[in-house]
Amino acid sequence: MINMATLSALCTLEGHQDQVWCVAWNPAGTLLASCGSDKTIRIWAEEGSQWVCKSVLTEGHQRTIRTVAWSPCGNYLASASFDATIGIWSRKEGEFECIATLEGHENEVKAVAWASSGNLLATCSRDKSVWIWEVTEDEEFECASVLSAHTQDVKSCTWHPNRDVLASCSYDNTIKLFKEEIDDWSCYATLESHDSTVWKVCFDSEGHRLASVSDDKTVKIWQEYLPGNQEGIPTVGNEGTWKCVCTLSGYHDRTIFDIDWSQVNGRLVTGCGDDGIRIFSEEVGSDKNAPSFSMSASVRKAHEQDVNSVAWNPKVSSLLASCSDDGLVKLWRFKDGE
Amino acid sequence: MAGFSSALQLTDLNDFITPSQECIKPVKIDRTAGKVGKIRIEDDGTYYNVSDTGVETKLQKAQITLNDCLACSGCITSAESVLITQQSQDELYRVLQENMAHIANNESFKLVVVSVSPQALASLAAKYSLSMADANRKLVGFFKKLGVHHVFDTTFSRNFSLLESCREFVRRYKESEVNKKVLPMLASACPGWICYAEKTHGSYILPYISTVKSPQQIMGSLVKDYFARCMGATPDNIYHVTVMPCFDKKLEASRSDFYNDVYSTRDVDCVITSGEVDLMLAKENISLADVEDGTLDTLFGADAMVGHTGGGSGGYLEHIARYAAGQILGTELQKLNFKSLRNQDFQEVTIEADGKPTLKMALAYGFRNIQNIVQKIKRNKCPYHFVEIMACPSGCTNGGGQIRLAEGESTLKDRLADVTGLYNSVPVQSPWSVESVTSLYEEWLGGVDSEKCRQMLHTQYHEVEKMTNALTIKW
Repeated sequence: MINMATLSALCTLEGHQDQVWCVAWNPAGTLLASCGSDKTIRIWAEEGSQWVCKSVLTEGHQRTIRTVAWSPCGNYLASASFDATIGIWSRKEGEFECIATLEGHENEVKAVAWASSGNLLATCSRDKSVWIWEVTEDEEFECASVLSAHTQDVKSCTWHPNRDVLASCSYDNTIKLFKEEIDDWSCYATLESHDSTVWKVCFDSEGHRLASVSDDKTVKIWQEYLPGNQEGIPTVGNEGTWKCVCTLSGYHDRTIFDIDWSQVNGRLVTGCGDDGIRIFSEEVGSDKNAPSFSMSASVRKAHEQDVNSVAWNPKVSSLLASCSDDGLVKLWRFKDGE
Repeated sequence: MAGFSSALQLTDLNDFITPSQECIKPVKIDRTAGKVGKIRIEDDGTYYNVSDTGVETKLQKAQITLNDCLACSGCITSAESVLITQQSQDELYRVLQENMAHIANNESFKLVVVSVSPQALASLAAKYSLSMADANRKLVGFFKKLGVHHVFDTTFSRNFSLLESCREFVRRYKESEVNKKVLPMLASACPGWICYAEKTHGSYILPYISTVKSPQQIMGSLVKDYFARCMGATPDNIYHVTVMPCFDKKLEASRSDFYNDVYSTRDVDCVITSGEVDLMLAKENISLADVEDGTLDTLFGADAMVGHTGGGSGGYLEHIARYAAGQILGTELQKLNFKSLRNQDFQEVTIEADGKPTLKMALAYGFRNIQNIVQKIKRNKCPYHFVEIMACPSGCTNGGGQIRLAEGESTLKDRLADVTGLYNSVPVQSPWSVESVTSLYEEWLGGVDSEKCRQMLHTQYHEVEKMTNALTIKW
């Protein structure tokens, strides 16, 4: 007999006064940060067998906080807000305090992300631009580049796990890749396949595959083909070519807002506008050039409203967090099937 | 928005030239006396006016042509299209043709003056593989054949910009001993930078910006005030065109500060880019190299090809550094040692003299470097006394209006190198030693610190409100 994989609710974290937009685990997997329309950031931690709210960070922003992101060292938290600024919070002195506010975007900042190398930050906005920031020795954040490659609102940006390469996705239906060349950053690849807004992209742990989710209700898996690849895919210069090798359709009833690829168990989790959370696993023996994924578990009514963000715990393989327009943050236990 | 600097592309041009929400197209309405009736709409969309006596009259559809819309800065027109249509090579042709007709009919006509910037000329010289002097003579020939009366070089008016900037810097430096908020002084020649500053950083950054007008606008004052009087014409009878390396200069020319209320005329009527001049040449089916040399004007140094040191954006930093070194530190600078910071468009210069305070200045070109300077100033952490800020990476020789590469023609990097090389090939002259400039200070402006000097050579800035009306958001 085969045991099905299961996704079961662990606990519900109440506290936010309005829709919760994003959840993010710190690199150690011990703290969960959440943010939302109530203009606050909440930090949650496990105390005994309970998850409690350890801090509420207020006074940082004047409008909705859309995304929070932890630095690779775990000492800083960045917050992206509709008030057009990015907050940098440091807990070097114990409690979190806002040590910098980055200005420059013309309107709502949608996402912020830290590069694994530690001193680069990326932000993206409804002003259609992606900004790269460099962190200097004295904790100063300076603008390194302003990239206007997208033609519409840029919904999210994500760094490659081990290279200074940035992926961004937009209301213009494309995914773009950026890297630094000589004196400036530029877009070196545009990935087109989705029929509608791409809400989120994420890399797998090696960084040769990308997963994207869209308003077109599909999940797409992209594979990187490096120069000299045996499949004979043409490449330009010394960069790889990205090809869409798999599309998962028919699983989601509405816009898919978030996707996360576990660095520990290799599974994908999606958060959807149909209130559901779904886990996808790659099938055994899956062909790299035409992989097959199947849905291993799902909770149709994970929340009362749209699921805005989902995040695998970076250390604990079975732990997962989600948040929703319903104002709640939830923790889930994923049990693999046999 | 092609061609405009990235600083202007990220901000919203509509906040500068505000499209009005109301359609101002006057529609003649035939009103019949009597009470107001009812309007009935048929299934096919026809409107009928039903008077109170039951008489039905079919109502005419209102007709509005695209030209009507473009003439009004109304609801469907973006600021960009207003600018591009009102100032273009087509507009210049139209004015020239109209002028020719007036001349032919012995009627009063406009004096057409074209002022060419050296960066725009370098772009034309690079495209047609000519020397600066040859390109200049041929461009003069091309314009004069079309009916232009005089062609000048904005290098001449740039002398005034540089001299005034030097003097202003020293004034501010002295004042900084009591008032910290006058330094750093920020260059004012780039309209992409100015408009971005007015829009995004408003009142806190504007006081730092030099009040000196750009070479384009000083030429505007020279032409419409001094030159007009010389020719016995009124400012509105001169049509002043400038040829520039970017589109942002069109926005600068349309500023209300550069509009003469008395004569209802702009100091610069029309800005065309070097790229647009190339389109004119293409339309006439002629290569600039094949154009016959024209007769050079002698006024405003137009018959001598001279330039300024300090790079393709006018040399503000270099000239101010040298003047300040002399006036403030009592030393004569031999060579400026530039140190590149985070990228090639961000460079700093340190001027030291024994026992004297150090002067630090910087070049900041391109939006990302402007961001950093502005943020440093905002947090009181700017280490510089003067910053030459320009919106375009690599400066004016790389302006958004310069001639684009055709198929197979070289690379962007090589073309920029050619343009810069040509720009630098012109022998330089210090603005302090140009006799005609010195005498104009007396003859035209009545002295170096006169009220007329302030009016003609200086300007002011205005905080621009962001339009947060949802109707105006461009999704």
